[in-house]
Amino acid sequence: MKLFDPTSGPVERALTLAPRPASPRGLRLGLVDNTKFNARPILEKLAERLGRRHRMTVTVRNRKRSASHEIDGDAIKALRAQCELVISGVGD
Amino acid sequence: MGEVEETTDPAALIEAYYDAGWTDGLPVVPPSDASIAATLAAAGLRGDEVLGAIPGRNAIVLAEKAAINAVMAGCRPEYMPVVVAAVKALCAPAFAYHGPAGSTGGSAMALVVNGPIARRLGINSGNNAFGQGHRPNATIGRAVRLIMMNVLNTRPGLLDRATLGNPGKYSFCFAEHEEDHPWEPLHVSRGLAPSDSAVTLIASNSLYQVYNQLAAEPEPLLYCFADVLASVGAPNLLGYDETLIVFAGEHQEVLQKAGWSRLDVQRFLMEHTRRPVADYKRGARLAGEITADDRTTLRYRFERPEDILIVFAGGRAGSWSACLPGWGNKWTRAVTTRIEVPGGDP
Repeated sequence: MKLFDPTSGPVERALTLAPRPASPRGLRLGLVDNTKFNARPILEKLAERLGRRHRMTVTVRNRKRSASHEIDGDAIKALRAQCELVISGVGD
Repeated sequence: MGEVEETTDPAALIEAYYDAGWTDGLPVVPPSDASIAATLAAAGLRGDEVLGAIPGRNAIVLAEKAAINAVMAGCRPEYMPVVVAAVKALCAPAFAYHGPAGSTGGSAMALVVNGPIARRLGINSGNNAFGQGHRPNATIGRAVRLIMMNVLNTRPGLLDRATLGNPGKYSFCFAEHEEDHPWEPLHVSRGLAPSDSAVTLIASNSLYQVYNQLAAEPEPLLYCFADVLASVGAPNLLGYDETLIVFAGEHQEVLQKAGWSRLDVQRFLMEHTRRPVADYKRGARLAGEITADDRTTLRYRFERPEDILIVFAGGRAGSWSACLPGWGNKWTRAVTTRIEVPGGDP
């Protein structure tokens, strides 16, 4: 008798990480609101502090279709083109 | 076929599946080359076919893996077309898998089977439709959950973040009682033909049985459902909901005798599933101080009649029916998929 493996891992694909900024100072910031109840206030508060401390400025504000959905392709393009730092992943 | 090791002792084999972390807590049926092949054949599939994908998890469901899990769950080969249709529903973009599967809400993946295949396979739609005792009900739903765990990496404590979960997460599958149905069955109401077989998937984190032995007319009966669905502690307030309502025999009779249509029931529930905003604020389900307007402003829980899915199932005797509030908000939708049987359903 054999043991059959019922699992399959995630499909692997090559990812290239963006270059890490040398300094946080003056970075352009993207905020991705996952639509959860407290997402926007927390993101805005973070952005305000980062602005104060590191002179970051918010250049993109994205609100996902829902917390269950991936961010859409056009939004990713905008974040890539206009931001060096993106904050996402806020729960409730 | 993914052979990992060999053993001759069936009990040791079952333990090996436990040791590998591949079960849902219950013992599994150890698959064989023959049972996997028969399961694939029953659905007309090759092992390397892709049944669906969840892009956000970089996950795909290969037919071979689905078949292994179906055998492990205890499915007979002829159940496989239902399992495949359910997997396609899980992977449908409208279902938005990651939310209902991973949420703290701990949803069961409720499967309603319609059409000729339900009768041919003996999927229970009668007494104890949600309960134990019927192999296809128990094993089809279980296969779907094992696929979620083993193939879509939805494991408790990891990508399944259920706070409490619920027993329906082991398995939740039943058929609609289509005989003496007062209207068109669920799958027909959702655009399929009466001769089609179909599975409807709805994620629900609770099952609330509604009791009413006195109502002889639809209005008081449905008022009980509206009250349950509008309760202050009911899951979702921020987006408009979907819900599944299951009417059993005596309540079905009340609707039938009054000549109410599906749309009549849906409209009544839309209109009456509501509460003053003040109630939701008193329970801290909505933020803010209660204003004078809040006492007279009503908050409705449904946006469209079709968001209220209605089926008939359960015993003919008894004053029970059930509400299964849908998980999440309007961005996660119940999905109905056609069940494809090679050569058609005999």
